[in-house]
Amino acid sequence: MCCDRVVSPLLERIAGLRAVMVTGKGGVGKTTVTATLARLLAASGKRVLCGEIAADQETSSPLMAALTGEGTSAIEPVEVLPGIATVVLQPTRGHHAFLRDSLKIHVLANAAMRSQVIRRFLLAAPTFPELGILYRVLELERERLPGGRHVWDTILLDLPATGHALALAQIPASILRIIPGGPIVEAVREGLRVLRDPAQAGAVIVTLPETLPVSEALELAAGLVKHEIPLAGFVLNRVPVDPFDPGEREAVRAHAATVGPLLGMRSLDRIERARGPRAAVARHLRAMDHPRGGVGGRAGVARPPDGDPRR
Amino acid sequence: MTGSPSHPERPVDLPFARAGLASFLEPLVRDKRVVVCCGAGGVGKTTTSAALGLAGAMLGRNVLVLTIDPARRLAEAMGIPESARAPSPIPPDRLAAAGVTGQGTLHAWMLNPTVVFEGMVRRLAHDEDRVRLILANRLYQHVSELVAGMQEYTAAEALYTLAEDRRYDLIVLDTPPSRNALEFLEAPRKLAGFLDERVVGMFLPSRGALRAAASSLISTVFTRIFGAGFHEELQEFLGAFSGMFGGMRAHAEAVRTLLTSSEATFLLVTSPEPSALAEARFFHAKIDELGVPFGGYILNRSWAQTRGLKNPDLVQVVGTSGPVASGWSKLSALADDERRRAGRDRSLLADLRGRGTDAIATPHLGGAVEDLSGLVALAGALVGPLEQESRTNPAT
Repeated sequence: MCCDRVVSPLLERIAGLRAVMVTGKGGVGKTTVTATLARLLAASGKRVLCGEIAADQETSSPLMAALTGEGTSAIEPVEVLPGIATVVLQPTRGHHAFLRDSLKIHVLANAAMRSQVIRRFLLAAPTFPELGILYRVLELERERLPGGRHVWDTILLDLPATGHALALAQIPASILRIIPGGPIVEAVREGLRVLRDPAQAGAVIVTLPETLPVSEALELAAGLVKHEIPLAGFVLNRVPVDPFDPGEREAVRAHAATVGPLLGMRSLDRIERARGPRAAVARHLRAMDHPRGGVGGRAGVARPPDGDPRR
Repeated sequence: MTGSPSHPERPVDLPFARAGLASFLEPLVRDKRVVVCCGAGGVGKTTTSAALGLAGAMLGRNVLVLTIDPARRLAEAMGIPESARAPSPIPPDRLAAAGVTGQGTLHAWMLNPTVVFEGMVRRLAHDEDRVRLILANRLYQHVSELVAGMQEYTAAEALYTLAEDRRYDLIVLDTPPSRNALEFLEAPRKLAGFLDERVVGMFLPSRGALRAAASSLISTVFTRIFGAGFHEELQEFLGAFSGMFGGMRAHAEAVRTLLTSSEATFLLVTSPEPSALAEARFFHAKIDELGVPFGGYILNRSWAQTRGLKNPDLVQVVGTSGPVASGWSKLSALADDERRRAGRDRSLLADLRGRGTDAIATPHLGGAVEDLSGLVALAGALVGPLEQESRTNPAT
């Protein structure tokens, strides 16, 4: 395992949390970060559950690919590595739990879930898919061993796109707008209590060391804070290692200008572009007066900066 | 079409503009009515769509780029407002400044779900009273923002409307970042399925023993979970919508017909990232399964193209010590790394072509494309030399 030294402030922070939402724009490496955090937590003796969100008939599993290189996760948690289990979170499963809890009558809940109309309504109607996922997460969070200990020390959620963390955060407000009364509102409020408690939950925003991704990540951070989702930190992924000292860089630049386009200069440009965004994230964390995130070289990602298509 | 799959090494390393060759994308951008760009999130779909649209305009066509949530700077570069109710033209002086001088035009629109949905209600509801009733309904206000798959639905609906009025020769659609491949192709069907008469009927007061039993279950469940008020509101809302479903299904069918016809083509945009590639291959399978025409792959953010770059090893550096020498040896190490990546990305490209499909790698353009001239450069690299037909004499 690489770089636990670098990632440790973030790791320390999330080690005590019950639920961690890994979020960020597509293509920044959320799944790899989730898998790496899971490995690091498991190495420190935690029992970790990684949840990925998938449509009902999803066949590929990026999370399993990142953890073990093959296989798919199932709707029930399965241990795939020592101390690490994976689960696929499906709205339908959460809907059932939700109906059971709010209807209080199992027969009625089962009948309701068998009803095509109700299932379709819950899948197509506003915010219910997110509600189903939230409910499923909370169900897993509450699971206990016979001795009373939690089955999972930490649940890591690999959220598919930026919108999802915000969508989860907005459930109560959305539901309230649509459905002003009824038992659902109380259930949802109670459900979000865990996700909004900084002692129990936090979001980890994954981004890349380029200007645009970083400014989008900072916007996402502001959005989460606005919806009272605690921010555990940032992971700046695929930060290129800078081998040059300032004198060397200047000398190389000056000399290269006289000989024309060179192999290696694209990497040098990339290294230089990465510097501003790193500073921006660090500034943001200081300004927020927030516990420090894992901002650093390759921030705990166990693969080469640009990925290797042949694994 | 150029770039025969059996010679992967040839087009890979040749920037088409310089080699005087057109890529497989050229006839697509020149002849098709709809070009759909699909791919995983973060692979550069929006930028690619914008560049292809620009290429179309440079070939003299009237082009619309329909995009979802573009990077703000790209929107600024193209000069499109963020919450427009209709497509906006890219100002001709801006195009001219970027070197686009032909007869073509370029419009862009950042899809606005509320506007698209409202437009559909207006077209399908026929009478003004019903339109008012629907738009004033409290649930409608939220349905238009919050229905799952709404982005996909709006993309398809907007495509339907804009393709109908024939104002544009070419529409380039930048699809929503959806993990479920081509969901937007199925979204209208799904939404129409949800708003199906049979489903809606269950919420409405009805006769018949079997339906009454089902309705009563639904009514019990909804009342107990959401409260009695909501159930009534939902009935009212769905009641107001009934009668529009036929029209919605017809739109869904029309979009499907257009997209499966030879007037459309689907391009898969990917990066060399394993997860993006896995998704691209999944999309490819899905495209074949759905029977929509596949145009080829665009490999973004790759290191495949190295033509014209010199190896620092081969450049004579004066002196053997000091920052120039040590910096130079470090640059050589970076160069070795780049060469390895180039090799890797080229075999990847060859692999994408291996199944008799077309594929092209975009060159490295130095960071993100952030302005129109960057897009023009990308358009040239993707499509080939774009001989602009201009009637007026360009100043240069």
